[in-house]
Amino acid sequence: MRKISKAMRTRVACLAFFSLSSLVLTQSPVHGVQSKTVNVLAASSLQPSYSLLAKKFERANPGVKIKISFGSSAMLSSQIIAGAPFDIFVSADIASMAAARSEISRRSDYVANSVVLAVPLDSSITKVSDLNQNLEWIQCANTAPCGTAANRALASEGGLTRSPVSLEVSASSTLAKLISGAVDAAIVYETDVIANQSKIRSISFADARAASTQYQIGTSKVAMAKNKRWTNAFFLHLQSSEVKKILAKAGFKVNIVK
Amino acid sequence: MRKKRIDPLSQALAYIAICVISLPIFALVVKVPWSTFFFSLNSGDSLTAVKLSLWTSVLAALISLILGVPLAWWLVQSNPKVTRIFRPLVLAPIALPPTVAGLALLGLLSRRGVIGTYIYQQTGWQMPFTTAAVVFTGIFIGVPYVVLIAESTFAQLPDDIEDAALVDRASHSQLFRMIALPQARDGIATGSLLAWARILGEFGATMMFAGSMPGITQTWTVQIYQQLEVSPDSAYALSFLMVVIAMVIFVLIRKPLKNAIRR
Repeated sequence: MRKISKAMRTRVACLAFFSLSSLVLTQSPVHGVQSKTVNVLAASSLQPSYSLLAKKFERANPGVKIKISFGSSAMLSSQIIAGAPFDIFVSADIASMAAARSEISRRSDYVANSVVLAVPLDSSITKVSDLNQNLEWIQCANTAPCGTAANRALASEGGLTRSPVSLEVSASSTLAKLISGAVDAAIVYETDVIANQSKIRSISFADARAASTQYQIGTSKVAMAKNKRWTNAFFLHLQSSEVKKILAKAGFKVNIVK
Repeated sequence: MRKKRIDPLSQALAYIAICVISLPIFALVVKVPWSTFFFSLNSGDSLTAVKLSLWTSVLAALISLILGVPLAWWLVQSNPKVTRIFRPLVLAPIALPPTVAGLALLGLLSRRGVIGTYIYQQTGWQMPFTTAAVVFTGIFIGVPYVVLIAESTFAQLPDDIEDAALVDRASHSQLFRMIALPQARDGIATGSLLAWARILGEFGATMMFAGSMPGITQTWTVQIYQQLEVSPDSAYALSFLMVVIAMVIFVLIRKPLKNAIRR
């Protein structure tokens, strides 16, 4: 008798836990119906520009809140597949957007960016082939868009005999290590160099096409089904000529057709 | 066997705690692609990363043991004032976020770091991005675990045994080697295994300080993080092996842990 009641108690406790957690899970997506919050997942290379223009948009539309989570596009994409709540996704390549396509609607090409070889201002490195000298350089791993673009650019360049000392998980960690002086050079986005031009300068790859990566933008299917007014407004704003001018100033190529 | 005396609320909370801990691990096991398990493990540089993690973590744990046990003994034997200053310092890495630990190591040893600058000027070598950086990160986070457990075990050794040994004219070195060490072996073993598990699982500090390069600095946990983006199956297979290791560790330290808790 005692044994049965013990087993029952275990089950009740587990059931209580399950029902509590399912309650929390089913509650969370509902909040967005009348929400004035727009959740954006964006490639970390957009951080400097997007942080500013989100604030501007909030000022122009009182009460609206733009929440942006920046990260590696591939990581954001896998978060979307795993069910992360979002309204707008901006990826730094086509593959990351394609991976999350089951959750995405109104997907289209956005801006383009290029990877470049970045070095400190006082560096003696002047061309990509200088990487063959005895120095330490890094790039992104091929799991991130900045890594696939770097591999394409290096392959097209040819003649490279030395390997990077680290394959970093994201564009931002690659940039951070270059700026902190831990390495001699790094392959990063052109926009990162422009944002940090007081510390680093860029050396372009010969094959501009191989070095470039196409950004894409899309909205969440769930957000569109609910026809969220502010998601739509911010989605259109991000593609307006006003924003594209800001992005062009930051170094993005705004009129590239794939 | 003693009859259990526990109130229903505590018992319910205990069951919830069991669910909170065991369900995620259960989910991990469910998600493992069993039919392609070995294929998934073999994808990319996964096995290379596992091998690198295993040998670097064992090496780091051994060095942590060699350095941590004497440090624990020193803390026990020192004047309480000294201990009060040094203990928080020595144990700090346990509470430090890995990113902070990584930044601290870079700040010290990168070629623009506090010591790294001189090493780089003299030798042209810097520790970041080398396998040495993986091991050093392990020692930095491993020593405190060894110290934490070993010190509490040393502190529980009965004073009269030590006194008797000293009366019998044992030297300080003999006291440490022949009395303290054998008496504290359970605690030392537990501390070392916990340190090893913690070193094996280290992620943030390694990625910041050592970077990620297959065969050189790309560890098991970094590989799990990267595989999640390209091959979730492989990430789950790699994670499952980690769960097995965690379980084995606690089976191994079951007896010493029980002894250490009961003392």
